[in-house]
Order: sequence, then C-alpha cells, then structure tokens
Amino acid sequence: MTDMIESLSGFGLGLRPPHFPALLDGIEGQWPGIDWFEVISENYIDVGGMPMRNLMRVRERYPMAMHGVSLSIGSTDPLDRDYLRGLKALADRLEPAVVSDHLCWTGAHGINLHDLLPLPLTEESLAHVADRVGQVQDALGRRIALENASTYVTYDSDSLTEWDFLSALTARADCDLLLDVNNIYVSAFNHGFDAQDYLAGIPGDRVRQIHLAGHENNGDHIVDTHDAPVVDPVWDLYSDTIRRLGPVPTMIERDAKIPPLEELVAELQRARRLSDNAVRGAAA
Amino acid sequence: MTAELADLQSMMQDRLLGGSDAIAGHLAQGGPFLKVYGNGYGARLHEVMADVFPGVHALIGDDGFARAVQDYTEAHPSRFRSIRWLGRDFPAWLADAPAWRGQPVVTEMAAYEWALSLAFDAPDRDPLPIEALASVAPEAWPGLTFDLHPALQAVRLSHDVAPFRRAAAEDQDPEAAPPKLEVPGVWAVWRDSETLIVRYRPLADDEAQGLEAVRGGGDFSALCEIAAETVPPEEVAARAAGFLKDWVDAGWITGLGGIPEAVLPSDR
Ligand SMILES: [Fe+2]
Repeated sequence: MTDMIESLSGFGLGLRPPHFPALLDGIEGQWPGIDWFEVISENYIDVGGMPMRNLMRVRERYPMAMHGVSLSIGSTDPLDRDYLRGLKALADRLEPAVVSDHLCWTGAHGINLHDLLPLPLTEESLAHVADRVGQVQDALGRRIALENASTYVTYDSDSLTEWDFLSALTARADCDLLLDVNNIYVSAFNHGFDAQDYLAGIPGDRVRQIHLAGHENNGDHIVDTHDAPVVDPVWDLYSDTIRRLGPVPTMIERDAKIPPLEELVAELQRARRLSDNAVRGAAA
Repeated sequence: MTAELADLQSMMQDRLLGGSDAIAGHLAQGGPFLKVYGNGYGARLHEVMADVFPGVHALIGDDGFARAVQDYTEAHPSRFRSIRWLGRDFPAWLADAPAWRGQPVVTEMAAYEWALSLAFDAPDRDPLPIEALASVAPEAWPGLTFDLHPALQAVRLSHDVAPFRRAAAEDQDPEAAPPKLEVPGVWAVWRDSETLIVRYRPLADDEAQGLEAVRGGGDFSALCEIAAETVPPEEVAARAAGFLKDWVDAGWITGLGGIPEAVLPSDR
C-alpha cells in the first residue's frame, strides 16, 4: 500500500454499503465527481469478510478519512484502550488523511447510548476534554479532528459558547476541527445563537474537513436526521464558511433513505460550484 | 447549584434509559427536546436489531419484536463501541424470556441469525493449507490441536429456519413458519474463504461433538475418541481424519498447535 493517495482535497461522500456495487463493479477507477470517501470507523474495527474486502477495494481507488462515533471524548468514563487500539490498527491499514470524532459523550458507567450527547460548556469540561484529546493523540500517534455535533439541549452550567470552547480546545490540546455546517445551523436554530458569530469565533486554520447534511425542521426545533438533501439556508451558510476559510475538503453525509450515487454526486456538484464561487468572490 | 460533569452525565443517561427526569432541572434550554435523544435511542436500537434479526421479526410480528427489543435492550444496554454487537445476548435472552422460551423456533432463529451475522464480518484469517497436515510427523498427530476460524459458528437446530430467514431478509413475507427438521442437530455456519459468502450445512452428531471438542482445545486423539463411539475401531482414524480434511478444505482451520518443538518440520 505504498501508492496510496495521502491528502484530502475537493469533494467527498460518506461511504455507505448500498453504494459498494456501483462504486466497485459499475465502474473502473474513480466515480466522476467524487474525490474521496469518509468511512465510519466503528463499522470496520475488528471486522473482516466482505465489508473489509469492499473497503480495501475502495481505498485502492480513493483517498480516505476515518470518522468515529464512539470515542466519547467527553465522557467521565475512562478512555477505552481496546477501542483506541482497534482505531489505530484500522488507521494503520487505511492511512486516512483525517481521523475524526465528535465533541460529545456517548455514555457513562460502561454503557454506550450510541448517540452524540451534548457536553456542558464549562471550564471543567474543557480541561477534561483537552486532557483526553492529548491521550488519544498520543495513543494514535497523530492529531485528531473533533466535530461540532447538533444539540437539542443546553445546560444551566454553560459558561462558554461552543465556538469559544472549540477555540480554547484546539489551542490547548493541539487538535483539529471537523466543521459540520449543517450542525451549526441546527444548533443555532435550536438555541438561538447567530451562526455568523460561530463562524467568526472558530479558529479557521484548524478546520481540516467540512460536513454537510440534511435535517428535519419541526417548527420549534430541528433534528439532524441525515435523511434528506441539504437545505438552501445551509448552502448559504456553507458559502459564508468558504468565504471565511477558503477551500476546505467538503463532503455530504447521508445515513438514511440513501439515494443512488448519482443523486448524491449531483448534490456534491452544488457544493463544488458554491465553493468555487465563494473562493472567487472572496478573492475579488 | 451546578452539578459536576459526572453527575450531569449520570442524570442524562438515566433519563435516556427511561429513568428519572432529574436532568431537566439542570437544563438551560431545550427541556422539551430531550425527547429527540430518547426517541433517537429507541429507534436506533430497533433498527439495528431488525437488521440482524429479520427472521425473528417475521416470526413474532412487529409488536412482538418491538416489545422483545425493548425488554432485551433494557436488560442488556449496549456496552459496545460498535452497535453491531448489540444483539450478542439476544438469543440467550429469548431462550430465557417468559414470553418466548416456550417457542424453540424463535430462539433457534435468533441463534441462527446471530451466527450469520458473526460469520459475515468476523475478522479475516488465512485458512491452513492442506499441505500443512501432510507435513505433520506421525508421532505428533495424537497431541495435535487446531485453531478455528473466527467466522465459524455452530448452532443447534430442530427447525428448518434457513429458507424462512432468507425470505424474511429479502422482505418477502414467508408463507409458513419453519417446519421441524427430520433430523435435529448442529449446523455449521461459516464464510467461504474465496467468495466471502456465508454458508451453512448440517453436521453429523460425532462431527459436531468433535468440532466442539476442538474448539475447547481438544486434540486429534480426543477427536478419535469421539469418532470411536460411532464407527468400529478400524474406521476411527479414517473418520477423524476425514472430518479434519473436510474442515481444512472448508477453511475452518487456520493453524495447528500442540506440536512438540522436536517434531516440527523445520527441525527435522
Ligand atoms: Fe457530521
């Protein structure tokens, strides 16, 4: 695996099993319009058989990012060393350009709720998470990126904004960010902050990757469902993001009601167009 | 009063697992939307279980399955990093649950489906080449032990669950419940090492016992002792060797053990 492509640039998709046949047997080489893939790490840790064969065949054709959902960086449970070993073994095999997880916790007392639960945005949380990011980066031998999750509640004890929390965290722990533009929009709507303040407040030079996804607007709150196309206001916010940050590897996540690849690639072309326009507009 | 991180997490988790509402007193905003987390949790567990156990789902219906999943996940919340392990204890739980333990076809289906799931994506191991057996010195044979492929599973069945399961997994409504097998026994479920497709076949009783012994670290002489209960003495060695050849051919064996240094081929 010496000839693998190392860097992430351009526009990618979350790799989902229903697309394996089209990607691997429907075409030779790369699918037009897809520059890279992101895989859910947990789906391939200690896994073999057809899923791993398919994954490695995709890896031969595309650069990759690894995205985890169970690191539980904010939990007060001890870090799961077995999990970190598995994560490192997978990273050694895939040589991903980015290894990411979420700013969240997923369970306590040994239980995993398999959800991205919100942390109180306090100095206590900040110190706790920064310390653990350091341990994870030592265990993996590389930097990780943390993603802003969609949240539905905030805590009485919150004393920091999420963007200040992330700024302090990246500086203190020397880690990177995965910016989910849809999640900024969702959380801004749910909690009544200004998404522009968020964009202005995060350290742009730490952003390694961008996520886009669809959501479900219930009138008084938005749920991050990943089951629909990206909505126009999120596209606008994406343009704002690129105007501020310059070009960033960007991908679309779809986890339910997964359409044929063509449909997602068409949506991805919109990201490409908007990004190009934003970069040109910012330069003018 | 502000609660510390660990307390907030305990309270939040308690709420999502259906317990106390104490966390509501520590929220600044979004109390009504706690349900997003709660609903998401239940829906996610159900989705994963329905994906792994379509046969059980079809057998006991939507309501029965929803109830079984809810009761099971209450008793066995996930302690796994990957949610694909969620169903690990479901077959044993069903076999013991008052609502289902009188229905062996349900618990057999669950065990079969879990075996399929493990066989599908268990870690890869290189199968032992058949030549490796030929190079074992005669005096090493009695103490020879065998490493089994992690994808190889054994399930005891008294019903013909496979066709029903196949139909259920393909979303065709299976017509009738799985009939009783003419000969109940142990079935092997494994993954073909070339195609990676999951396969299954019934085992003769002594073959099943032998495989179980080998899994527990039993050596070739233990395999012979088991075969001796089925065939006359002069056929024992051939029967045990025949099992072994079939297992190696199917890729079930990945390594040999119990060979004293002195008789390792490289030392001769
Ligand atoms: Fe995301």
